[in-house]
Amino acid sequence: MVLGVSFVDQLSTALVIGVITGGVYALVALGLVLVYKASGVFNFAQAEFGTVAVYAAYAALEFAGLPYGIALLVGVSAGVAMGLATERLIIRPLFDAPRVTLLVATAGVALLVIGVQFWRANDPALRVLAPISNELERVRVFGISVSDQRIVILLVLAATAAGLALFFRSPGGLAVLAASQEPTAAELVGVSVRRVSSLTWGVAALLGSLAGLLSAPISNFSPGFLTAGASGALIPGFTGAVIGGMTSMPGAVVGGLLVGIVESLGGLNALEGIPGARSLLVFASLLVVLLVRPQGLLGRAAA
Amino acid sequence: MALLEVRDLVVGYGPHPVLHGVSLDIEAGETCVLFGLNGAGKTTTVSAIAGLLAPSSGTITFDGQPIAGRPAAALVASGISLSPEGRRVFARLTVEQNLQLGGWVRRKDAAVARTQRQLVFDYFPRLAERGDQVAGTLSGGEQQMLAIGRALMSQPRLLLVDEASLGLSPTVARTVFEVMDRINDDGTTVLIVEQNAGVLPYADRVLIMEKGTLVFTGVGDEIRDADLRSTYLGA
Ligand SMILES: Nc1ncnc2c1ncn2[C@@H]1O[C@H](COP(=O)(O)OP(=O)(O)OP(=O)(O)O)[C@@H](O)[C@H]1O
Ligand SMILES: [Mg+2]
Repeated sequence: MVLGVSFVDQLSTALVIGVITGGVYALVALGLVLVYKASGVFNFAQAEFGTVAVYAAYAALEFAGLPYGIALLVGVSAGVAMGLATERLIIRPLFDAPRVTLLVATAGVALLVIGVQFWRANDPALRVLAPISNELERVRVFGISVSDQRIVILLVLAATAAGLALFFRSPGGLAVLAASQEPTAAELVGVSVRRVSSLTWGVAALLGSLAGLLSAPISNFSPGFLTAGASGALIPGFTGAVIGGMTSMPGAVVGGLLVGIVESLGGLNALEGIPGARSLLVFASLLVVLLVRPQGLLGRAAA
Repeated sequence: MALLEVRDLVVGYGPHPVLHGVSLDIEAGETCVLFGLNGAGKTTTVSAIAGLLAPSSGTITFDGQPIAGRPAAALVASGISLSPEGRRVFARLTVEQNLQLGGWVRRKDAAVARTQRQLVFDYFPRLAERGDQVAGTLSGGEQQMLAIGRALMSQPRLLLVDEASLGLSPTVARTVFEVMDRINDDGTTVLIVEQNAGVLPYADRVLIMEKGTLVFTGVGDEIRDADLRSTYLGA
């Protein structure tokens, strides 16, 4: 940001940048909230569903020469396959284990997958996935150009959040909640707990894949890029999910966008002298939200 | 042919069997009560019938069909419904939502859902008053009513109730038994697991289980044996 730009201008710029970076966080947060609602697990592998999807799409595009749309489909399939495999091989056998064991297990999955990426795909370390369209300035908002890619992210976010919110108001959503609260009773009324589990991990992996495939083209990508590092979305996504209440789909969206905005406020000139101002602001606001509303912005007090 | 026929049922958790060859019949239209001390294997028996546990040997036949080993989620659609030990209501969902889930296998048929819901509210008016209450905040008696009501929503032909009166005051226990009696009069076959002799007046037949085998089968009045009475019925 150029020095001398008025504070209000800086604020509005930060707001726009915040919303467009927060869109990816919100997508990650949606997947985290879904898995948490369905199985009470903090899923550290959520962002890796996205990274795997990106590498698969990249390979389909660059090495197999498939058309862009097909390559995206290949990516989504790879991400969803990883989600289903994680559920089948890790989550289901540990069904009765304490939730903290599962948390560690998902972290293990993430580290394993990142390890494989470093092993198989670190040369070159930085790669570029083509964007959906090359239009970098579809609109200008407060002087910030917003690319097609960014707009697609926000549209996909809106559509998936609305879909999930509707789903949890439907009988199917009720069955997911029932399976997580009382699996035995859920079986007894005819809800297959296994099927519910596969379904939720599959959909969560789909959300992760979308987050990866849509955000990778914004800069370059490298092993584990969506989990950690400059374009990491896992920790901001978690923060957003918790701010939003951990069980609320709209909460995940609001929380994710909020984290994006707060983070970009850390770039204000007034904070120039403070190293790490962005994370400082994000975690300070997380703590404030948790102190004032422990159940999160849109979470229910006893849920 | 009886509605439910269990033959030489062996069920266990891990390598050691808990049931050592249980055989029993439940006739269509009757109310059966299964007595037994703690750890006798009553819950294991009804869990196997409802499909929560797979037997290691023996057969279970429901309405002429072999069902041993079929999962619970499939059996409830064929007409076997269990109100489990410990009630296991969906604590963070409302009474209405619990009932709606009880009707999961009949969800395509709005008419059945409506009739069954009406029936449940008819049996347990308390539930009707508390439709929007979160189930976890219901009293113990109300949760028991909800668990039975939820099991009724699938329109079962055989209703299994494990520990119908555990932890209930004598008055509430009697209410539950009376409703079970009405449910039976309305045409549902009933198997109640009990430790409370108060259920005897409502039973067509009594089964007594000890250490994984049935030691007595007969009508309630036949329990003349003073030892059996004092051991199992506290009377
Ligand atoms: N999940 C389990 N794992 C291992 N053993 C079990 C399990 N559930 C029950 N058992 C054992 O099986 C035996 C029969 O238990 P069951 O629950 O069927 O008894 P019950 O007659 O229902 O007793 P209660 O009146 O206390 O409910 C007991 O010895 C019990 O310890
Ligand atoms: Mg028992």
